[in-house]
Amino acid sequence: MRYPSPAIFTLLFGPLYVICFYVDIALFRYYPETAEFHWRMTQNAGPAILWYGWLAVAALASAAIAILVPPRWADRPWSGWVWLGPMIAVVVILIYETRWFV
Amino acid sequence: MIVALLIVHGLLAVALLGALTHQAFSVASSAARSDRRSFSFFNRFRNVNAPAYATPIVALFSVTALGGALLYPKYRVDVRPALEDLQLRAPNGIFEIKEHLVAVGLGILPGYWFFWRTPLAPGQAPARRYLTWLLAFLVWWAFLTGHVLNNIKGLSS
Repeated sequence: MRYPSPAIFTLLFGPLYVICFYVDIALFRYYPETAEFHWRMTQNAGPAILWYGWLAVAALASAAIAILVPPRWADRPWSGWVWLGPMIAVVVILIYETRWFV
Repeated sequence: MIVALLIVHGLLAVALLGALTHQAFSVASSAARSDRRSFSFFNRFRNVNAPAYATPIVALFSVTALGGALLYPKYRVDVRPALEDLQLRAPNGIFEIKEHLVAVGLGILPGYWFFWRTPLAPGQAPARRYLTWLLAFLVWWAFLTGHVLNNIKGLSS
């Protein structure tokens, strides 16, 4: 059995999460007023929480790629740079969310 | 129930913040860290067994984030509409950022834990250092944002 590479997961998760929330790719939506999960947008159910759905997509996609990448490739010296993926995600988030402060 | 969960969430965040700040200072500079003759508070603060903090930090981050995820629906229904009604865009914005940064932090955890496995590989020191600093930044942001929003009534009066 092949195990997912934690380094690949960490490298990819942040950027994939940013894409998910920017493009609005949520696996599901949670409607807190009715306490219901729905696969798609539902009218008349109140405000939706997409955060859980974005997390789910980013986690599943990162884990799938982390499993598929061959271990000999995942263990190469570049894995010391895995912090760049989440760092870029943080910078993009901080820049994008400045829209709240103008 | 929700108040109890909020208090537990806050207490777990305090523990996480303390552990991660110790670890973040411990990886700051090997030259500064090796100066063990100085017994200042600052040197004692950073001269900790940093690898021993890794697993508790992963556990604390996960449990605290889970608590936040459980509190989130209440925030979405009760607090956010109130902030919007009061035209408080900045508090809304810092919470949006908190939500995203915690998500990125959850994604960091597997790699962070992997690079902190003992025996520590010397070649992976930069990855350990930058992942730890990044995680510390995310946790500090989340902690301060949580406190500002929790006290927003008092702060905005």
